[in-house]
Amino acid sequence: MKEFLKGNYKLDVEIKETEDAEASRLETEFERKALSRLGGSICFVSKKNFVWTGEAQPEAGRAAASQGGETRGAGTPDRQDP
Amino acid sequence: MELGRRIARTLEAATFDRIAAVGLANAELNRPRIRRSVLELAPQPLGEGDAAIVVAAGPSLHRRRSLDRLRASRFKGTVVAADGALGACLRAGVVPHVVVSVDPHSGRIVRWFGDPALNAAPADDYFRRQEMDPVHSRDEIGANRALVELVNKHGPGIKAAVATSAAPAVSERCEQAGMALYWWNPMYDDYERPDSLSRRLHGMNGLPCINGGGNVGTAAWVLTHAVLGKRRVGIVGMDFSYAPGTPYAKTQYYPELVEMLGARHEEAFIHLDSPLTGERWFTDPAYFWYREVFLEMVGGADCDTYNCTEGGILFGPGIRTMRLEEFLGDVEKGR
Repeated sequence: MKEFLKGNYKLDVEIKETEDAEASRLETEFERKALSRLGGSICFVSKKNFVWTGEAQPEAGRAAASQGGETRGAGTPDRQDP
Repeated sequence: MELGRRIARTLEAATFDRIAAVGLANAELNRPRIRRSVLELAPQPLGEGDAAIVVAAGPSLHRRRSLDRLRASRFKGTVVAADGALGACLRAGVVPHVVVSVDPHSGRIVRWFGDPALNAAPADDYFRRQEMDPVHSRDEIGANRALVELVNKHGPGIKAAVATSAAPAVSERCEQAGMALYWWNPMYDDYERPDSLSRRLHGMNGLPCINGGGNVGTAAWVLTHAVLGKRRVGIVGMDFSYAPGTPYAKTQYYPELVEMLGARHEEAFIHLDSPLTGERWFTDPAYFWYREVFLEMVGGADCDTYNCTEGGILFGPGIRTMRLEEFLGDVEKGR
């Protein structure tokens, strides 16, 4: 918890994490690790476009933008909730 | 809310945790092989017209003999296969124009292309247990050997749309089989953030980032409409679920669910009725998440999507479910 709490003042007492908090943090870490084994093989980024080809700057060496060109899926505004 | 649905809601972040580090490492290892962008596929003559079929590797592909029926139809449009469906396609005499591969797993995925180095059944029972290509569960070594030959024979006629996250063994195998490789980056996170991994990766290799939707089948669908520009996209073999009667122990994430949930693992499975067939299919949190993601994505897609799987749980707003012959007939008649 300490890493999330910051202030612009100093306390006279030292705050110690309780054993419960530590156990809860470990449990969350364990859950996250366990859940990662259930994940997919490629990410999904919500509310983003299907294809992103970078900023519109067809530079040399940028094979994606300069050789293939934009497609109708690329460079369009991000998707919104239906 | 059911346990399975609760878990499914956490999987966007869990997938990032699972694959981001290895995917970026693979991007570096694949770098010497990167010569073409996937966007270069768009102007190529890959089938006629604006219709395409995306072939995923769910159990309906075999239950409904979708590939035999596709071959019999003499469909002239574009065929895009997920890597897991490549073997079934070639065995059925359907040579896809494009095969898509994304998964960074170092040892498993190359098997979908036939692994020339495999001489004995591996300790990993993934291919014997999974439902995606049943021939592997019957004779793992013989099926692999036959697939090596098929892929070597047809490789020069197939374009491989390979994510930079794919295992180097896959890109090496595709090249060895004579496939032309067309590369893209998986979209890992919001590219508008200054510290975005997607943005950094794009800066390193100049390749487009594609929003993959959690799995290779959805990535193949995205590529078909958003890169190839196809406007009528039929889908076969995309169940995102298990057929009625499949034992839980034969499902993709069974060992992980048992390890995570112990005796409660059965509570993680979700049951849904198919509106087309009336069958009750069941799914696990990962496959259910794929379905929810697809339903979100389809609303923003610049194409009409027809699910011709004839099974599974992929139905909802934005998706027309129909028999394969109905879709193929409409395409033939130009409807």
